[in-house]
Amino acid sequence: MNATGIKFGLGLYTALFIVFLYGPLVVLGILSFQTGPEGGPQFPIIEWSTYWYRHLFGLTPPSRIAPLPIEQALVRSLTLAVMTMVVSTVLGVTAAQAFRRKFRGSGVVFYLIVLGMMVPGVLVGLGMALVANAFGIDRHWWGTAFVLHVVYTFPFAFLVMLAIFNRFDPSVEEASWSLGVSPARTFRKITFPLIFPGVLSAMLFAFTLSYDEFSRTLFASGRDLTLPLAIYGTFSVEVHPNVFAFGVLTTLFSFALLGTYAILMAMSVRRARRVAIQEEA
Amino acid sequence: MTMAATSQDRPAEAAASQDGKRSDRTFWLLAPGVIWMLLFLVLPIAMMVYVSFWTQTTFKIEPTLTLKSWITFFSSDTYIGALWTTVRIWLIVLVATLVVGYPAALFVGLFVRNKTLSTALLVLCVIPFWTSFLIRVLAWRPMLGKEGAINMILMNLGIVDQPIEVLLFSELSVIIGMTQIYCVFMVGPIAFMLGRIDPSVLEAAQDLGAGFWRIFRTIILPLSMPGVVVGAIFVSVMVLGEFATAAALSGRKVNLLGNIIVTQVGSLKWAFAAVAGVVLTVLMGIVVAALLRVVDLRKEL
Repeated sequence: MNATGIKFGLGLYTALFIVFLYGPLVVLGILSFQTGPEGGPQFPIIEWSTYWYRHLFGLTPPSRIAPLPIEQALVRSLTLAVMTMVVSTVLGVTAAQAFRRKFRGSGVVFYLIVLGMMVPGVLVGLGMALVANAFGIDRHWWGTAFVLHVVYTFPFAFLVMLAIFNRFDPSVEEASWSLGVSPARTFRKITFPLIFPGVLSAMLFAFTLSYDEFSRTLFASGRDLTLPLAIYGTFSVEVHPNVFAFGVLTTLFSFALLGTYAILMAMSVRRARRVAIQEEA
Repeated sequence: MTMAATSQDRPAEAAASQDGKRSDRTFWLLAPGVIWMLLFLVLPIAMMVYVSFWTQTTFKIEPTLTLKSWITFFSSDTYIGALWTTVRIWLIVLVATLVVGYPAALFVGLFVRNKTLSTALLVLCVIPFWTSFLIRVLAWRPMLGKEGAINMILMNLGIVDQPIEVLLFSELSVIIGMTQIYCVFMVGPIAFMLGRIDPSVLEAAQDLGAGFWRIFRTIILPLSMPGVVVGAIFVSVMVLGEFATAAALSGRKVNLLGNIIVTQVGSLKWAFAAVAGVVLTVLMGIVVAALLRVVDLRKEL
């Protein structure tokens, strides 16, 4: 479009929009360097310091502000995220594999799976707690909360894999079968390397969604806190900059994760290219 | 194995058993996922509906069917109030995300014709999602508070003399927070639909002398509607199921249905919580069905 004035105006607006998206996070990042323990979660910055970061790791002298209970919560959250990632990726790959062929009732099954990401966490969490109560099952983060995490992340993995299989040329598999290679070996040697980027994306989705998930965990996890529940616990009390420092650290952790994903992805692309060159030679 | 051995003699039977094997394979591939969803998604929701008819005593529930919880819910001002608050906040946030997000989507999807730049802009919008949701909610506290960044800036600029107190711990702060958190879900689908518009259509309209507003009204807006509906479904489902933003930013002044569920579970009133849950489910079903009525997504996408 050639409407220069409008384009300029919209460009300016988009810049403001991005400021709106990032503003609170930037403020949070700045305030995490507030001095402690007397500095509060507001401006002005009395003195720049890393007090609250040290406070997180228990490196400061004890004060009236209790440290965040993150140590065990972090271990639980990471374990839960890895468990969820493995199970939902396996379920996603197998279900998407089934969808490569037309079958009766595929519409119903599709909606049943996608429903898992649509239904709000409060509702499934509540329902799961009721089921656990009725059947006398103890609620734990590795039990009732874990199965709900998979309910949430499995549809994402499934949709990613569905998109991958849509662009997948089945004739390479058929070639392998007709050469007498067993289906299991074909999957390992042909199918899996081809769908690997998709599997990686599905894993990334599942891991981050589970790591950050809390409304499902809230009712279903029993007494032990996961990381998001520990943060949720600070909502009702006075907020100190240690929560902000923690926010900065989790963001950095997420970026590290994203970086790992990018590296693995680049490696798989490079390997594919090398194989292609070898074949040409 | 014996099946395969005998079927080699008769080709017709071989085809039939091949077919049987295929549907067998589909069945075994699907079974784990479907069973998982039935057990851990459908059963809990069904249980919620069932328990909403149970008898609530002070600390526990008994499976004697009654309508008492339902009657209590609909005769209580608190619960009905929460229902209306949920509907009101949902409507306001839906409109706010659309109004705030649409121009940005218009720029990214239509005006930036450089693919790399538009991808970079979209990625820029998604990066905040890599911070924990709860931290993003909490980040609004130092922004909106009485001594927060916005009040400080406004006072330094001399726009206001006294800090605006209504910014934090009010309905407004909940709306601002939700708009920021959810508007990207509106921008994405709209930008995607706008990116698919053929530029030559717009050029043709321009060459024929149509002004920007006319082009916007007759071409751009109708073609972006599927994106708007998809975005609206995302935002609606998430806002209706919300309780954390209200818990963090309203200072207990805003009670959504989600908050009602959380407090009822906290005081072991499972049956009431279940009633609120069923009401929320029905509300969500109505909203999504109504949105799907607006545009036939299967035809448009």
